[in-house]
Amino acid sequence: MNVKMAGSVLLIVCFLAVCGPMWAHHGNSAYDEAHWITISGAVTEFVWANPHCQIFLDVKDDKGAVVNWAIESQSPGILRRNNWTRTSVKPGDQIAVTLAPAKNGAPVGFSGNQMGKIVFADGRVLKMDIR
Amino acid sequence: MQNRAHSALKYLLALSTAALTFPAAAHPQAVPQQTAAKSASSPAPKRDLTGVWQYQGGGGAESMTADKDMPPMTPWAKARFDEEKPGYGPRGAAGGNDPILQCDPIGFPRIMFMPTPHEFVHAPGRVLQFWEREHEWRPIWTDGRPLPADPDPTWYGYAIGHWEGDDIFVVESTGFNEKTWLGPTGFPHSEGMRVTERYHRMDHDTILYDMTVSDPMAYTKSIVAPQRIMKLKPHEEIEEQPCVWSQENEFAQRIRNPATPKPAKQ
Repeated sequence: MNVKMAGSVLLIVCFLAVCGPMWAHHGNSAYDEAHWITISGAVTEFVWANPHCQIFLDVKDDKGAVVNWAIESQSPGILRRNNWTRTSVKPGDQIAVTLAPAKNGAPVGFSGNQMGKIVFADGRVLKMDIR
Repeated sequence: MQNRAHSALKYLLALSTAALTFPAAAHPQAVPQQTAAKSASSPAPKRDLTGVWQYQGGGGAESMTADKDMPPMTPWAKARFDEEKPGYGPRGAAGGNDPILQCDPIGFPRIMFMPTPHEFVHAPGRVLQFWEREHEWRPIWTDGRPLPADPDPTWYGYAIGHWEGDDIFVVESTGFNEKTWLGPTGFPHSEGMRVTERYHRMDHDTILYDMTVSDPMAYTKSIVAPQRIMKLKPHEEIEEQPCVWSQENEFAQRIRNPATPKPAKQ
C-alpha cells in the first residue's frame, strides 16, 4: 500500500470513528442543539436546584414585547466547578445567554456543556462546561 | 514530498487513534484535551485507585455503547424495549418515560457514563466508590468473598473486586433489579445481568476503563463497551447532586413540559 492510499484509508477510518458514535450521543431531543443562539435581557430569577439550575430572563422580541425565557442549565456541582456560586446571577442582572432553543418554538432553552455560557454587561463570562 | 506525505500519514494515524480511543466523543469540541499518551509520566501507586476521577466523555450523559452496536435482544427484552420512550438517541423524543425523569435511581451501570466525577476510597476489605450524581455509593468487596448466589435485587447491585497485577482492578457485580435502563437511549436488562469492569491504572493520572455486560435473558451476546478514559482530578471534590423530586417536579412544570411538543390532535 503506498502512502497516498494508506492516507485515504485512514481518512475513512477517521470519518467513521468520529461520525459513527454521534448516533450514541444526541442531546435532549426537546432542544435544537444544532442551532445555538444568544439572547440578552434582564434576569428575573435564578434557581439553584438539583439536578438542574434554571435562569429566567426577560427578553424583548422583534416587536418590542417582553418575553420571559426559561433556561435549563447544569447541576450546582457542575456550575461550582465553573466558578459559579448560588449568587452568581441575581435578578436585574443584564446578561447574554448562549443556549439551544426548544424545537417547539416556546421561549425555553438549554444552556450547558461546551457551548452554553452567560456574559455579563461588564464582559465577565461564566461557562457550564463538563470537564 | 515523501517526507511531507509521511508526516501527513503520521498525523492521520494519530488522529484516527485518538478518534478510536474516544469513540463516545461525538461533539467535535468534546474531544478530551489530554490524551493518554500525553498524561503525567509519574508512576502510578500500586493497587491504589484513591482519588476523584472524571470520565472523559463527550459532554453529556452517554450510553455504554452506540445503539447500533448493541447485540440482538431476546423477545423478552424486545417487548420491554418497545415500551421505552427515551429522550435521547435514534428513538429520542421530548417527554417520554425515562425512569430518571421522576427521580428513580439511575442505577448501575448507567451511572458510570454520567458526565460527573466519582471517587474511590480504599478501606479494609473493600473499595468504596462514590458518585457525584445522586450522591450515591457502593462497596466493592475485596476480602475474597464470592458473589452471592441468589442476591435480593438492588439498584446498584453487589460487587466484588480483585487485582490483576498491581495496576488492574477487576470488579464483578450482580444482583441488580430490572427497573433501570442501561442508558439514556433506553435498553432494558434483567435481574440476571452480570457486569465485569476493568480499571487499568496505566499511569498516575489515567485509568483505562472497560465494561462488559452479560445478560442472556435479555441479549444474545455480551455487550462490550468501547474503552473509556478516566482522568485523576486531584484538586476537585465530589459535589452533592441528588435528584430532588420537589425541585425536579417544579423544573418539569416550568421548563421540561413547556419545551415538550404537544401531541398532534387526532
